[in-house]
Amino acid sequence: MSANPWLATGNFYTTYKQEQKTFFTNLDRSVFTFFLVILYAWPLLFPLGNKYMLIVDNILIAIVAVMGLNLVTGFAGLISIGHAAFVGIGAYTIASFCRTIGDSHILITHLWPLLIIFSGLVGAVFGAIVGLPALRLKHLYLAIATLSFQMIFEWTIQFMSFFNQGQTIFVGRVFWFTGKVGRKDHYVFWYFVILTFVVLLGFGIRNLLKTRYGRSLIAVRDNDRAADAMGMNPGLTKVYAFALSGFFAGVAGALHAYVYRGVGFESFTLHESIGYLAMAIVGGLGTLNGSFWGPVAIKFLDLQVERLAETAGQYLPAGMNLATALKPLTFGLVIVLFLMFEPRGIANWWRIVKSYMKMWPFRY
Amino acid sequence: MSYFFQIVVSGVVVGSIYALAALGLVLVYKSSRVANFAHGQIIAAGAFITYFLTVTVGIPIFFSFLASMIITFFLAMSVERIFLRRLIGEPIISVIMVTIGLGSIIDGLIYLTPFGSENFSFPEFLPQNSLSLGGVSISWTQLLGVIITFLLIGGFSWFFKKSTVGISMRAVSDDQFGAMSVGISVPRVFGLAWAAAGLSAAAAGCIIGNITGLNFETLHAFGIIVFPVVILGGLDSILGAVVAGIIMGLIQQFAGGYLDGNFGLSGTGNVLPYIILLIILLFKPHGLFGIHEIERV
Repeated sequence: MSANPWLATGNFYTTYKQEQKTFFTNLDRSVFTFFLVILYAWPLLFPLGNKYMLIVDNILIAIVAVMGLNLVTGFAGLISIGHAAFVGIGAYTIASFCRTIGDSHILITHLWPLLIIFSGLVGAVFGAIVGLPALRLKHLYLAIATLSFQMIFEWTIQFMSFFNQGQTIFVGRVFWFTGKVGRKDHYVFWYFVILTFVVLLGFGIRNLLKTRYGRSLIAVRDNDRAADAMGMNPGLTKVYAFALSGFFAGVAGALHAYVYRGVGFESFTLHESIGYLAMAIVGGLGTLNGSFWGPVAIKFLDLQVERLAETAGQYLPAGMNLATALKPLTFGLVIVLFLMFEPRGIANWWRIVKSYMKMWPFRY
Repeated sequence: MSYFFQIVVSGVVVGSIYALAALGLVLVYKSSRVANFAHGQIIAAGAFITYFLTVTVGIPIFFSFLASMIITFFLAMSVERIFLRRLIGEPIISVIMVTIGLGSIIDGLIYLTPFGSENFSFPEFLPQNSLSLGGVSISWTQLLGVIITFLLIGGFSWFFKKSTVGISMRAVSDDQFGAMSVGISVPRVFGLAWAAAGLSAAAAGCIIGNITGLNFETLHAFGIIVFPVVILGGLDSILGAVVAGIIMGLIQQFAGGYLDGNFGLSGTGNVLPYIILLIILLFKPHGLFGIHEIERV
């Protein structure tokens, strides 16, 4: 630790214990607290309409899902093209409760935090099962195995009448200490809930990466044979990584089910899986803060494109739907451009800014 | 019994289309180790270019078929030149995502045209009545499709066996440094592999379009269904693509013909390939004819 507890120009660790601290300087801690306060306070100070609050909720749910994807694809280096299916498993866990005990049973309306965690655990179990091929397969073959899981999931949901053939299954309104959460407060209420989940899970990942297991994830990604030689178990590490990512996805799915007050098949398609991958890449694979930047950037872009298509649509013949064309176009362009010119994603820009701040007033 | 043979015939028809669609994927993977997730979009683009040339411009269908093959040849080559060549040596996730991104771009471009949302069908140029043999019927379009498929696959096999360019492509897929040391331009071979894949994709698109009608969703779904096929056949074997294509076609048609409707099942033809894919990946990941390059961890 540097002599100055507020500003540290460089690393001054003398023990491993110090390196594992969550905040290195008091400045870090106060900046983090400041942002946290702002994140919790702004919806109360500047209330947004339900339409925009839904978008914000959506971004936060995507952040939870992408944190999980980043764990498996970014840190463990296992490509998963089936992440939306894991999210779907979380959502359909809630949905199957609704189907069996009714959508306004006390378990669903009052004990929802437990149910969300439970959905995460179900997601983790499925993640571990799907991760089993990772014991034998690598790279492209593993990617295709997860792809086939995605297709099997889609078929199962559409085929089984228990899941309403993929049509919407309704989820009841939840209760808080102040009573039933009404239509007006719904999205704001869930904003706070999801934000809490994001903060807790974010801390979870941050701490996980400083543990033995977190380091072994990165070791396995970089060279699994060397990791094996150093006494890690690459196979088990990979299966755990899938299980953990399944947990995050399951939580995201459960939150999705509650926010939309319904579970429909179309939110968990292959297209969504690719969307999550794109968010992870644009944010920056293998970085924690990339999981925050990516969803914000992609969803914001989507919103802008929609708006642009709406404005341009007024000057075009009525039959043409510009949004369906522009959305994949910009989405593809963003992926390709990021991979070609900034493969480390937005997190890299953040890193540059941060290291500049740390070294200031010196250049390096 | 004729029901059984009818299913066999339609299985072979569907299977040979899968084989042709898978061929493009195998060609690219064989030389440059890139799994092309934009293949379905290239198939669709080829089919729509043919339609545009035939109906809007008014060229006879045979010539527009050839023209669209040439156009996609250069299209795929330029895609490789502009996007994929910068990514040589990058991690596999980047390469996969670039092809997915390219697919998305082509999606967007096709949605800008009327082809994205409406259904079209090629003008009829063959006799409408179907050929009937002992209770088993096959339409002329299907027959022609199968014949063209096998001609193309035979042509490609000959090309790889005998021609200088084909041999240099095989050399690159075998050992890139070795190929370089005997004076083969590896980037050029990559470009040619993409071009050949584009050509075969256009042919596949035209044949599918003639048999099932032109619908963007259907055509672009072929880009995903080829993955079970190529994994079953082995990712880098042309023979594997043909055999696995026909096996997959038969499996799909048999599932549709015998499983659907019984045991309360439906749409099994769409999911069975993926279940088989998972089983193959677990027990024989290099497929029927692929090179054994999988390592255990």
